[in-house]
Amino acid sequence: MKYFNKIIVALVIVAAPVASFGQYCNHFHEKYCMPSENDFFKPNGQSKSALFSKGQTSDLNIIVYKGQDYRISLCMDENLGSQIKFKIFETVKKKVETTTEIVEMEEILDEDGEPTGEEKEVIRKETTMVIKRVKELLYDNSTDDYSTEIEFTVESTRRLTIEISVPNGGGEGKSKSKLMKSSDMGCVGILVEHMPTPISGF
Amino acid sequence: MKKQSRLAVALLVGLPMIVFTSCGGDEPVKDVVEDVVVEDVVDDEVKNESYYQIPSPDEMFGFIKESGLEYNAELLNPTQNVNSYTTPNAQALNFGVYSAELAYTAAFGEFDNTIKYFGTIQKLADQIGISSAFDKALIERVQGNLDNVDSLVSITNTSYFAVVDYLEQNEQGDKLGIIASAGWLETLYIVANSTDYAKNPSAVERLADQKLTLENLLDYLEAYNSNADVASLIASLTDLSTAFDALGEEESGTGISLKKKEDGKMVLGGGNTISITEAQFNALKEKINKIRNSIINTEA
Repeated sequence: MKYFNKIIVALVIVAAPVASFGQYCNHFHEKYCMPSENDFFKPNGQSKSALFSKGQTSDLNIIVYKGQDYRISLCMDENLGSQIKFKIFETVKKKVETTTEIVEMEEILDEDGEPTGEEKEVIRKETTMVIKRVKELLYDNSTDDYSTEIEFTVESTRRLTIEISVPNGGGEGKSKSKLMKSSDMGCVGILVEHMPTPISGF
Repeated sequence: MKKQSRLAVALLVGLPMIVFTSCGGDEPVKDVVEDVVVEDVVDDEVKNESYYQIPSPDEMFGFIKESGLEYNAELLNPTQNVNSYTTPNAQALNFGVYSAELAYTAAFGEFDNTIKYFGTIQKLADQIGISSAFDKALIERVQGNLDNVDSLVSITNTSYFAVVDYLEQNEQGDKLGIIASAGWLETLYIVANSTDYAKNPSAVERLADQKLTLENLLDYLEAYNSNADVASLIASLTDLSTAFDALGEEESGTGISLKKKEDGKMVLGGGNTISITEAQFNALKEKINKIRNSIINTEA
């Protein structure tokens, strides 16, 4: 019973920071990501905040519509560092065809279905149509001075994947079995804003 | 792997074709060629933890209002049907439907209907145990902004995301998936039945683009496929995806890119775009109507 109580206390101590961080992260992007100064931009419901640990990579899949301008900005807890990687991919399904030929010997049967003792060559051609998900890189903030925001016009509706990677902070090679400290975790918010693309000219 | 196995649809596209070719003379050897085509979906890249977001109903209705579609009250699921939804699944589905009606009426400034639908979703929220998402301040804000379209749209949006937040925080992703799917399907129903193919090309195009949203939705629901209600919804939406899969693709001639243009603005352009014919539009509309009508059916 004593041991059981100790385990409970230990679990509470370990889980409490995670749980409180989790709750704290819920509206993180609303509180800490700086919205655009352009009043025409409206917050988009596809924005999201989540709890990250150092070394973690997660994807957020969103839809961006033709005829809209989007602004995507990041905000994060200071302990996660300032060099969070932020990439944008397009995820598409592509059909890939592969054909394999298998040569087999098959017994020849007579009119009554009895084996004749002779064999014939059978070539089985199997065409496999595989639909693969392919991620095509469109933007990488590590080539843009680790910028935490991007604004763009969409010419045709797309399904985009925003990949967020929190650097390991020198912890690479650490044993995964060690308990994670609360300082190894923090919130990351992704604020998505949208507005109709302004029409320029007469 | 789990996902792969669900999505791995083994289709026998090409019927086995047996070709006998004589090799000359009395040679008894014959070639038999069989073509078997198997379709599968695989992810060959390292899979990160993924979240799938679904645009909220207001985003669609804001667009359709701008594109010139007219408000049509006859398309709405009447509020008096609410008492007929007695199972938790029917209540969650119709919570999604009524949330879309709320966004639709608010976008078009139909204030009386907005209040009626807000009351209906409050009632359903009680029944499905998410009434805490609607606090007193939110209800008072709706009542205090009945004469302002922008405020009303913003508040109804807030109420939708309050529900999303509540369900996420309480780890009820399955219920959220059911509500979001039904809400999304209702927006499709309203758009598809507010225009015909030739009348409003931009609305038809936006409808075709929902193929991508459906992919996100199915990926989201997949995580909850052990729930029988979600599994049944996946089956209906997979049926709908066959109509979307039939849509064509137009090549722009250049690959997709996110580049800075001369004026300094970043533009996401190029790549293939989805195209839709009149026959495909009608087939899609028929499937949407069938699934939507089964959701709002009061005779279950």
